[in-house]
Amino acid sequence: MQATPQRTPDLRRTATSPRRRLRPAVVPMIARIGTALVGGYVLASAGATLIARLLPVDRAEATSWGMILSFLVYAIAVLWSFHEPRVMRVMLGIWGGSVAIGLALALLGVRP
Amino acid sequence: MTAALPLRQSMAWVHGWLGLLAGWLLFAMFLTGTASYFRPEITQWMQPEIRASTVSPAQAAQGAMTYLQRIGAGDDVQWFLYLPDARSAVTRVFEQRSPTSTAPPRPAELTLDPRSGEPVRARETRGGEHFYRFHFQLQLPYPWGRWLAGLCAMVMLSAIVSGVITHKRIFADFFTLRWNKGQRSWLDAHNVSAVLALPYHAMITYTGLITLVAMYMPWPAMVNYKTPLDYGAVAFGIPTERAATGIAAPLLPIEPMIEKAEAVLGAPATRVVVRHPNDRAATVTVYRHASVSINARLPSVTYSGSTGQMLERSGGTGPALMTAGVMLGLHVASYAGTGLRWAYCLLGLTGAAMVGTGLLLWTTKRRRPGAAPFPGLTLVERLNIAVIAGLPFGMAAYLLANRVIPADAAGRADGEVAAMFWAWGAVAVMQLARSPRRAWIEGFAIGAIAFAAIPVINAVTTARGLPASLRGDDPVFAGFDLTMLAIATVLGMAAWRVAHLRPAAPVRRPARGVVHA
Repeated sequence: MQATPQRTPDLRRTATSPRRRLRPAVVPMIARIGTALVGGYVLASAGATLIARLLPVDRAEATSWGMILSFLVYAIAVLWSFHEPRVMRVMLGIWGGSVAIGLALALLGVRP
Repeated sequence: MTAALPLRQSMAWVHGWLGLLAGWLLFAMFLTGTASYFRPEITQWMQPEIRASTVSPAQAAQGAMTYLQRIGAGDDVQWFLYLPDARSAVTRVFEQRSPTSTAPPRPAELTLDPRSGEPVRARETRGGEHFYRFHFQLQLPYPWGRWLAGLCAMVMLSAIVSGVITHKRIFADFFTLRWNKGQRSWLDAHNVSAVLALPYHAMITYTGLITLVAMYMPWPAMVNYKTPLDYGAVAFGIPTERAATGIAAPLLPIEPMIEKAEAVLGAPATRVVVRHPNDRAATVTVYRHASVSINARLPSVTYSGSTGQMLERSGGTGPALMTAGVMLGLHVASYAGTGLRWAYCLLGLTGAAMVGTGLLLWTTKRRRPGAAPFPGLTLVERLNIAVIAGLPFGMAAYLLANRVIPADAAGRADGEVAAMFWAWGAVAVMQLARSPRRAWIEGFAIGAIAFAAIPVINAVTTARGLPASLRGDDPVFAGFDLTMLAIATVLGMAAWRVAHLRPAAPVRRPARGVVHA
C-alpha cells in the first residue's frame, strides 16, 4: 500500500505526465512481469536443484532442503524484479542467473 | 518503475498490485481453508443420521476388512482404510482395483459403519471435504486448480514480504486502530489484522506451498533420483514394494496386527494400507494417528499379511524431512486439540480479514469525493462485493442445501455443491442492480439471514436441533449450530455498520507520525 500522498507520493504521480509515459512503458512492464513470474520460477527451480545436487548430505535431505528453500528464492526474485528500475538488468539477472545455474547443473550431471 | 525508487516505495507498489490481482481468490482460499480446520465436524453435521461411535480403530478396521473381503477379495490390489477417531464417526475405505478386473464397476470410495462394517445409511454428501478441496483446487480440473492456488499462494508470500518492508512502524501499528476515519480506518484495520497475525499468515502461506511442493517443484528430486516417485517413497516413508507372488494365502485377522502396531508406535492407528490382499506377499501397513506429533508425515509399521511378522518400520528422518513434515503439520493442524483448533480458526479469519480490508483499501484510496468512479474502480468494487459478501452466502447455501435436498435424492452431493455456486453467483450478479452501498448492506444481510437459518432448518428437519443437542450430549451439533449463529451475528453487524456509516471525510493530513502503509 502506498503512503498518503503528502509524504510519499504514489508512483502514478511521480511521473510528470503519467498518460504519455504509460504507453512506452507497456512493453518493458510486460517483460518485467513475465520475468518475475516465469523467470522467477525458473530461477527458483534451478537454485533449488543446485542446492539438492551440491548439498553434502543424504540425497533425500538435500532434495528436501532444495524444495523447502525454493519458494524463498522465488519470492525474492519476484520482488527484486519489481524493485530494480532497469528492466534489462532484471532480465539479465533472472534469466542470466537461470542459464548460468542451468549450465552448472548440466556440467555436474545427476548425483552419482 | 522507471525511476529508481526507495525500496519501501517500490515494495508498496508491488504490494498493492499483487494483493489486488490475487486478492479475491486468496480471500476465498482463506475462508474455505479456515472452515477446513473443522472438516470432520462439518461432515458429521452434514450426515445427521450417523452418531459418534465408541468402536476402537482396530475393531473398525476388522469390520471393514470383513466387508472388503466379501466384495473385493478377488480383484483388488490395494485397500486403504481411514479409521474413525474422536472427530470422525465413520470408516472411509478406498479400493484400488486390479487393471485386469472384470467385476462390474462400483464406487472406489466407501463409507462404512465402524460397528457393523457395512456401508453407512446416511445422506450422500461431500461434507467438509468440499471446502477443503475448494481451498486448494478452486473447483477447477486437475492440475489447473492446484497451479492457480499455488500461484496465489506465491503472490501472497510476495505480498507479505513486500508488505513487511513497506510497513515501517510494525510495532506501533499493532496498537493503532482509528474507527470512522474512512480510508485511514481501513488502512488501520488492514494493518492490525496483518500485523497481529503476521507469523500465522507467513507460516500458513509458506507451509501451504510446501503441502504441494512435490508438484510445484519436482526438479530437485530429478537430479538425485531416477523418478520423483523414488524421492516420494523415501520422503513419505512408503514401505518397500513387494510384488505379488500369485500364490494364495489367507489374510490373517487385522485387529491383533493393529493393536501390536499401536503398542510399537505409541498412539492409536489412523490409517491402514493392505497390499495384495490374500496373496502370500500381502502386507499390512499401519500409520500412527496425527494427534501426537506436529510432524504430519506419519510413522508406520508394516506386517506380513500371511504370517503376521513385522517386516519394517519407517525410519528416522533427517532435519530437512522433519522440517517439511512439521511444515505440513503446522498447515493442516491435524495435531491441534480443540482449543488450538479454535485459535487456528480465528487466525484464519484474520487472514480473510486482512485480504478483505486490503481489497477495500484499494478502492477507498482511489475514490475521489464528488468524482465519478473510473471503470477499473467500479470493477474492483463490484468484485469485492461479489466475493466478500457473496462467498459467505454461498457457503451458507451449501449447508442449507444439505438439509433441504431430500436425504435419498439421486446426485444430491453434487446438488449441494451446485447450490453453493448458484447462490454465490446470484449475489455476484444481482448486486449489479443496486448501488454499491445498498449491495454491501443487502449482501451481508442475506448472508446473516442464511446463516441464522441453518440452526433453524436443522432443528426442523432433524432430531438433533440446538435445544436437543444442548440438552443431550451432542457437542459437535451444539457447537456447529452456535457457530452458525455467531457468524450470522458478525455478518448482521457488518450490514448494520455499512448502513450506518457516515460518508468519510477525505483524508487531509495523515495522523501524527504515521507514514506509510
